[in-house]
Amino acid sequence: MGERLAMTAKISLGLAMSGIIYAMFLVVPQYVGLGEAGRIIIVHVPTAWVTSAAFAVSAVFSILYLRSRSGLHDASAVAAAEVGTLFCLFATVTGAIFAQVVWGTFWNWDPRETSILVLLLIYAAYFALRSSVDDVPRKRRLAAVYNIFACVTMPFLMFVAPRIADSTLHPNCAFLQGSKCEGISLDLNGAKIGQLGDVVVELKAVQKQGDMTSATVEVRMPGLTDTADLIPTFDNAGQPADRPEFPGQSFRMILIEADVPAGTARVNIQAPGTGLLSNQRTLWVFMASNLTFGFLALWLYRIRATILHVTSLVQTTEAL
Amino acid sequence: MSKSLLWRATKAVFVRELRSEFRSRQALNAVALFAVCSIVAVSLGLGPLNRSAELPLVHAALLWIVLLFAAFTALARVFVVEEEQRTAAALRLAAPPHAVYLGKLLFNLLLLCALTVLVAVLAIVLLRMQVRSPGPFVVLLVTGALGLVAGTTLIAAMIARAASRGALFAVLSFPILIPMLVTAVRGTALALSGTGWDRCMAPIQTLIAYAVAMFVTSLFLFAYVWED
Amino acid sequence: MDAIELTQISIDYGARSVMANLTVRLNRGNVMVVTGQNGSGKSSLLRVVCGLQRPSAGQVRFIAGDQAVAPAEARQQIGWMAPDLMLYRELTGLENLRFFADVRGLGIPDAELNALLERVGLYGRGADVVATYSSGMTHRLRYAYALLHRPTVLLLDEPSVMLDQRGHELLEAVVAQQRMIGLTIIATNDPREQRFADVLIRLEGSA
Repeated sequence: MGERLAMTAKISLGLAMSGIIYAMFLVVPQYVGLGEAGRIIIVHVPTAWVTSAAFAVSAVFSILYLRSRSGLHDASAVAAAEVGTLFCLFATVTGAIFAQVVWGTFWNWDPRETSILVLLLIYAAYFALRSSVDDVPRKRRLAAVYNIFACVTMPFLMFVAPRIADSTLHPNCAFLQGSKCEGISLDLNGAKIGQLGDVVVELKAVQKQGDMTSATVEVRMPGLTDTADLIPTFDNAGQPADRPEFPGQSFRMILIEADVPAGTARVNIQAPGTGLLSNQRTLWVFMASNLTFGFLALWLYRIRATILHVTSLVQTTEAL
Repeated sequence: MSKSLLWRATKAVFVRELRSEFRSRQALNAVALFAVCSIVAVSLGLGPLNRSAELPLVHAALLWIVLLFAAFTALARVFVVEEEQRTAAALRLAAPPHAVYLGKLLFNLLLLCALTVLVAVLAIVLLRMQVRSPGPFVVLLVTGALGLVAGTTLIAAMIARAASRGALFAVLSFPILIPMLVTAVRGTALALSGTGWDRCMAPIQTLIAYAVAMFVTSLFLFAYVWED
Repeated sequence: MDAIELTQISIDYGARSVMANLTVRLNRGNVMVVTGQNGSGKSSLLRVVCGLQRPSAGQVRFIAGDQAVAPAEARQQIGWMAPDLMLYRELTGLENLRFFADVRGLGIPDAELNALLERVGLYGRGADVVATYSSGMTHRLRYAYALLHRPTVLLLDEPSVMLDQRGHELLEAVVAQQRMIGLTIIATNDPREQRFADVLIRLEGSA
C-alpha cells in the first residue's frame, strides 16, 4: 500500500514537472517589455522560495537536534541544507541570466540578490564547519549552533539592508502584499546623494516646465563606468511621464514626487516585469510551479535525510 | 546561580584575560601591527584621493574592512589559547558557562575598542579621512564594534574546537557579519560627510538591534558550544 | 555526595570502542581504583564522571541522601586532576588559585589559599609564575586546583606520576582526608596506590 502510494506520488511529481515546463514555454503569454525571458519567472521564483523554506526547516531541525541529540534530527537538518543549497544555486543562476537579458546586468547588488548570496555563503560555511570537526557529536552540535545563529541574522538582511539600499529591481510590489518599493528621497539642500541598487544618484536640480515637473539627476554606474544626467518627469496628474533609461541598462528611472520650492525629489528604479502576475494564465502556472517545486524539494529532502541517517547508523554499528 | 555570583565569576574571567594579556602582550602587539600595516598598505596603494562626493563612502568602506580583518586576527584568541594551552578543561570544570562567555566578550570588546581607536586615528592621519560629524561617527564606531564582538565571540568558541581555526573563523563569521557591516559602512559614510544625528540614528539603531540580537542568541547557544 | 552510580557506560572514539557497558556503584567514604593498560580508558572514564566528556552510552548519577543530584550542581562538588590538566602559565600559583576560587564564587581569603599551597608542598612559591615551575611542582599545583573547593568527589588521574617520595605522602594524606568527607576515584597503574582501593576495577581495553 505504502509503496504503491509512493510510486503514484513519484509519477505524478514527474508528470507535474513536465506540465510546468510545457506550460512555461507554451501556455504563459509573453509579457510586454520582458520578451521570452519573462518565462524564467516560472522556475526562478519557486526555487527562491524553496530555498528560504529549506533554510527555515534546517534551522528548526537544528533546534530539535540540540534538544533531542537524535541523529535523525541532525540528518534532517543537513538534508534540508543540501536541498536548500541546490535550489539556492539554481535560483541565483536563473536570476542572473534573467537579469542580464532583461535588466542588462548579471548582478546589481539588489537586496534580494544580496540576501541570496549571503544564504549561499552561510550554507558554504555550514558545510565547511562540518568537515573540519572530527568528533561526531561535537560536529553535529556545533553545526546546529551555527545554523541557528545564522538564522537569527536573516531578519536583518531581509528588512534592514533593503531599507538602506532603498530600492530594488525586483518587482516585489507585484508578489508581496505590503512590501514597499519607495525609491529614494533626495534633497538639494541636504542629502542629495543616494543609491538605487548599486547606482549612485545625485540630485542636480528640480524644475517646473509648463505642466510637467522634472528633476535632473546625475547617475554614476558602478565603477564609474558611465555617468549621465537623467531627467525624469511627471505630469500635473502626478503620474510619471518621461522614464529615461540608465546608461547601458534596460531599466529606467521614474520620478515619483517632487517639490520645486523645497528642492526635494523622490526617484526610483522601474524595471520591466512589474505586474507580471496580473495575467490569469501566468498566475495559475506560477502557483502550480510553486507547488511542484515544493514537492520536488520535499522528495529530495526525504531521500537525502534517510540516506544520511542510515549511513551514520551503519558507521556506528560497524564500530561496535 | 545568583546574579552576584555570575557577575563575580565574569569579572574574574575578564580580569584573568587582562592580566594574561598584560604579561604576554601577544594579542595587542600582533593586532596593532596588523592594523598599522593594513592602513599603511591602503594609503600607499591609493595615494592621495581626489575630493569627490564618493570619498566618504570609500573611506568608510576601507576603515571597516581593516577593522573587520583585524578583528578576524584578534577576536578568536580568547578561546583558541585556552585550547592550545589546554587550560580549557580546568576552566570548563570550575566556571559557569555564562561567566566564561561574558568575561571573554568583555575582553574582546575592550580589545576591539582599542583597535578601533587606533585604526580611526591612523585613517585620519594617513588616509586624510575627514570626520565632519564627530559625535555620530564615534557612536557608530562604538555600536559597530559592539555588533562585531557580539557576532563573533560565539563563533570564536566554536572554531576553537575545530581544525584549521584561522581560516574557519573568517569563513563562519563573514556571512553573519554582512548585515552589520553594510549598515556600519553606510552609517559611517553619512557621519564622515557631515550628516547630523537625525539621519545617523537609523543605522545606529540597526547596529544596536543587531548587537542585542546576536548577544542574546549567543547567551542561549554558548552552553552547547562549551559543554564538553 | 553519598554515592556515584555508573550505569552501562560505553565510550567510543570514532570507530574504536574503548569501554562497553561498565556498571558500578561507589559509596561515600570509599576509594575506587581503576587500573588497566595504556589506552584502556582510565582517563576517559574519569573525564566522563566529571562531565568533561559525554559517554557514547549510559549515564552517571550522583546521589545525595536518596535523591539524584543535577549534573550542573554535582559539578560544583567534583575535584579533578590529571597530567593533562593545565593551569595558566603566565599567572602565579596563587593567582591561579585565586582565579579558580573566584569563578566558583568562593570568597577564600589569601591566608587559606597560602595554607593550601603549603599543604601541597608549594610553600613560598605561590608568588612565582607557573611557567617557572618544574613538572613535579606543576603537578602539586594540580592538587591544589582539585582540592580548592573541598570537593566531595575527588577524581585523581595518575596522581603521583611526577612526584617524589614526599609527594606520595601528600597523596596518602589527601586520600585519608577524602575518606572522611566523600568519595575518591583514582586511575593508576602504580601498585602502591592500588592499596587504597575499596573497589578495584581492571579495564581490559579494546579487543
